[in-house]
Parts: sequence; structure tokens; C-alpha cells
Amino acid sequence: MSESLRSQPQSLDLRLGKGKRRVHTRKSRQRSPAQLLLEIVIWTFLIVMAIIQFAPISWMFATSLRAPARSMDLPPSFWPTDFRWENYLAVINSPRIDFLLFFWNSLRIAVLVTLGQLLTCSMAAFAFARLRMPAREQVFFLFLATMMVPGTVIMIPTFILIRTFGLIDTHWALILPGLTSAFGVFLLRQQFMTLPGELVEAARMDGAGFLRIFSQIMLPLIGPGLSALGIFTFLGSWNNFMGPLLYLRSWANYTFPLAIVMLQGYMGMGNRAHVLAAIMISIFPLLVIFLVAQRHVIQGIALTGLKA
Amino acid sequence: MHNRQRLAASDAPDRVGPAKRLTRAKVEEAVAGYLFVMPSFFILFLFLFVPILSALVLVFLKYDLLTPPRWAGLANIRALFTDRRMVTCYWNTLRFMLGATLLNNVLGLVLAMGVNRAMPRLLKYVLRTALFFPVLTTTASLAVVWSFILTRDRGVLNYYLQQVGLQPVAWLASARWALTSTILYDVWKSCGYLMVLYLAGLQGIPGSLYEAAEIDGASRWQLTTRITLPLITPTAFFCIVVSLIGSSQVFDNVFVLTGGGPGDASRLIAIYIYELGFKRFDMGYAAVVSLTLLLALLLLTLLQFWGARKWVHYE
Repeated sequence: MSESLRSQPQSLDLRLGKGKRRVHTRKSRQRSPAQLLLEIVIWTFLIVMAIIQFAPISWMFATSLRAPARSMDLPPSFWPTDFRWENYLAVINSPRIDFLLFFWNSLRIAVLVTLGQLLTCSMAAFAFARLRMPAREQVFFLFLATMMVPGTVIMIPTFILIRTFGLIDTHWALILPGLTSAFGVFLLRQQFMTLPGELVEAARMDGAGFLRIFSQIMLPLIGPGLSALGIFTFLGSWNNFMGPLLYLRSWANYTFPLAIVMLQGYMGMGNRAHVLAAIMISIFPLLVIFLVAQRHVIQGIALTGLKA
Repeated sequence: MHNRQRLAASDAPDRVGPAKRLTRAKVEEAVAGYLFVMPSFFILFLFLFVPILSALVLVFLKYDLLTPPRWAGLANIRALFTDRRMVTCYWNTLRFMLGATLLNNVLGLVLAMGVNRAMPRLLKYVLRTALFFPVLTTTASLAVVWSFILTRDRGVLNYYLQQVGLQPVAWLASARWALTSTILYDVWKSCGYLMVLYLAGLQGIPGSLYEAAEIDGASRWQLTTRITLPLITPTAFFCIVVSLIGSSQVFDNVFVLTGGGPGDASRLIAIYIYELGFKRFDMGYAAVVSLTLLLALLLLTLLQFWGARKWVHYE
């Protein structure tokens, strides 16, 4: 026991000693039992937290592969023991519910909203950052002020507005208000501000129009900002629940989150496997985005404080 | 203003020709600028300014969506002062905000300090991925997963509680635990997000500070309390403002997990506004309650900026 305890910190020290911070190399010389204990506490805490954070997802995956009749059985499994992939097929081919349609609905709305925001936000941001026009700062301040108004506060009047336009139970109710965001304008403006001002001047001297300067010179230079905004807009739209809950009425128009919450009521009793398989399918694109673009996602949050 | 005129006047005599072209170029630039801003401005105007302004009108109306709106005078505002349920909802929201903000920020900071330690790359990647992934998932759908985990009978959590000899708890169906359960779900969902924010803050602290302190013989405890914690306060301030405002809006989480029940035990203000509008069809009163939320949040933000002078250290 004591030996294993003694050997553990040594191996830890080796690893820490290779770290860039000199903090750790110094510590290795004067390690006291208290520090050793602290080290153990920190590592246990980190690992336990990582397990807690991941456990619900692995439980969902394991249970989604169980036979439906056994999906309520205890003990729960966190690692798949059954491999009934036909659960996924059953969800997709379900006769009463067109599951692929939800996928398509969610995807269509998210893609349109993302493209719209990238376009409108980058255009406005370019003007605010690099074009001289009267009252520019005042208009920009107005944009910023709208960021202060939380969505919950305008939920009721927005609903009445959408209803007046006759857009209830259409995807336009979700797409149109999402086509721009003050935050996106703010974020991309910051990015444009980092580019040298002479770029625009020089291009104008050469006779380039503003549209050309914007699309061919400036836009390609703010790739990181665009990708951060794009990823988070897509995630926000894909994960949106309240919007669809307010505006969509018929199953054919439902998006994933709304469909899943509604489905839970119908088939959640006794058949967790199918519900969980449906949720796995719905978060699969998020998993792909994360694995492909993890660095962009994390840098994007650090850069902007954006909430997924 | 005077300065600018004088400048323009002194410039003018030198170059009459170019100045004229310059003004034309200026007009072109301004027109182009406003054309670029137009799409964004138009949408924001339609879906933000118009709703805000109409909320101010709705305050004085009785409107149930089906019959035409009627003038109600101050009746909606007067109703505020006798609305005991609203007080309960605000109380729940306040408790949710404090609980979630506290736990999310403490965990976020501690996890960030943990993940920021020197360790093998792969281990860091695995830890960060596991800790962060819940942030990306859909709040409403994962709440369904959590409702299976937290349910009283055949729930996953209660299974383990019983294994260690504890009584099963009705996490979602008892007034005592419902709000706590929604807070715990929020912490599971959001602490990874705060971890990333704090991680960025930690990495912004110059390493030379630590080295200098080490040469002076500072212990690790001193490094943490004298360098890391003071210098993380600007990040912490931002994180706390963001989490307080975010948690005051929570809707999906509670809507799916408890629906606000049992009774009003976990009814948050966003759920209450939704129900006033779409179950009671009282648009005017729902708008009044929304505006109280706006006022409360503005007040809270001002308060925080005022309070921040006492504990936030800018270098």
C-alpha cells in the first residue's frame, strides 16, 4: 500500500517535470505528504467529474441498444452489452412518425439561419468597422442595445407579430427572426477591426467597388470569426426548443427537439430504448461537429463568450 | 464640431477639384455603408424593436388572440401587485439563479485549474472532451434522458442510492427536490462551458508572474491565492454576469423535467410567462410580467457593475 502510494507521485513527477511551467519542477523537490494528498484529491476530483459528465451520454447509448422490453431493467449499463441496432432502424422506419423528416426540418432551418446570419452579420460588421458613414457609432450602439433584451421578454409580442404575418406552423417563423443577430455583427466587427485599414483604401485606389472589396478581400481574412459564428449559430438553431414549441403545430413541420419531447409522452412509458435511440440520432450531427471542429468550438467560446 | 469645420475650411482652398471628388466618394461610401447595414438592420427592427414597442402597448390591452384586443387601462399593471404566484416564480427563479451560478462558476473554475495543469496531451484531450460535451447537446432532448435517470421508480440514480442503503428520492415529483434537480441538470449541462471560459482566463495570466513569485520562494498555495485568484477576477465577473442572466431565462430544462411542478415548486418566471400567454391566453398581462423581468435584469446588471468595483482587479 505504502509502496504504491510512493511510486505513484514519482511517476506523476516525471510527467509534470516535462511540463513547460517551472512551477512543477520546483515542487518535485519539496513535496510533503500534504501536497501528495492534495495531488491525489485533485486527480480524483477531475476523473470523477469527467465520469459524471460523460456517464449520462454513455448510459443513453448503452440503453438505446438494449432490447426494448429490457430497457427499463436495472442495473443500468454504461457500456453497451446488447447490440440491437435494429432499434435505430425501428425509429427511422416507424410507420406513424416520419423521423427522417424531423432531421430534414432541423437541418434545413439550421442551414438557412446559419447562411443568413453569416451573410447579414458580416455585411453589417464590414460597414460598421471599415466604412465611413454619418451616425455610424449611434446606429452601432443601437445594435448593441438590442443584445441587452433577453428573448423571454419579447416572447409574447414576437409571437403576436409572427401570427399577424400568418407564419404560424411554417418554418419561416423560425428562419426569419434568425437571419441576423446583433451579437454576430458585434463579433465580426471586432474581427474586421483587426485588419489593417489601408486594405480598403488601397483597393479603392485600384478601382474596386465596395461589394468586391467586401467579398473578395475582407471576407476571406476573417475566417476564424466566421467559423465560430457559423458553428454556434448552427448549434443554437439545431438545439432550439422554445421557438418550435411556440410556432410549430403539425408533426410534419416538427424539428428534432420538439419531436423528441412530444414522442417521450407517447412512447416513453416502458420503451426507453426507442426514445434514447431517437435522441442519439438527433445529437449525432453535434458529435460529428464536435469531433471535427473541437478546437474551433472551444476557441470560439474563449474568443467570444458565445453560448452554444 | 467647430474644429472639424475649421479643418475643412483650411483644406478647401488648396485642392478644389479633388475635394469635390472626395465628397462624392464620401457620399458613395456612406450609401454603400448603409446598404451593407440594411438587411441586418431591417430584420432587427422587425423582430426586436417592433416587439419591444408593441410590448409597451400590450401592457394596456386585454388580448386573448381570438377576440380583438380591448383597452384595459392600468388593470394589467394593478394585477401585478396581487399576483402571489408571480412572487413564488420570482423566488424560485432567484434560487435557481443563485444555485446554478454558484455551482457552475465554482466547478467551472476548479475544473479549469485542474485541466490547465501540465499533463499528457491525450489525457488532457480526453478530460476536456468528456467535461465539455454536455454543453453542445440539446437541452430539451438531454432533459428527457435526465428525466429517465432521475425518475423515482426504476430511475438510474435511485438504483445507486438504494445500493448504498439510502431511500429512493422522488427527484422530479417532490416539492422538496424538484428545483434542486433542475439546478443539478443545469450544472451538468453548463459547467463545461464555464470551464472553457475560465480556461481562457487562466491562459491569459502571464507565466512570468508565476516565475517571478517562485524565485521569491512563494508556495503553490500562495501562487494560487495571490496570483491566480486575483487575476482571474475579470474573467469571473464576466462569467458571473453571463450565468446570472442566462439562468434567469431557463425554460427548456424545467419545461421538460418538471413542467414547473409539483404545484409551483419549480415554476420559473420564463415558464410562468409562457403559461400566461399560451395557456391562459392573457397576452397583456404576460407582457407586463415580461417587462418586470426586463427591469429586474437591468437592475441586476447595474448592481453587478457597481459591486464589481469592490472585488474585480484589473491589472
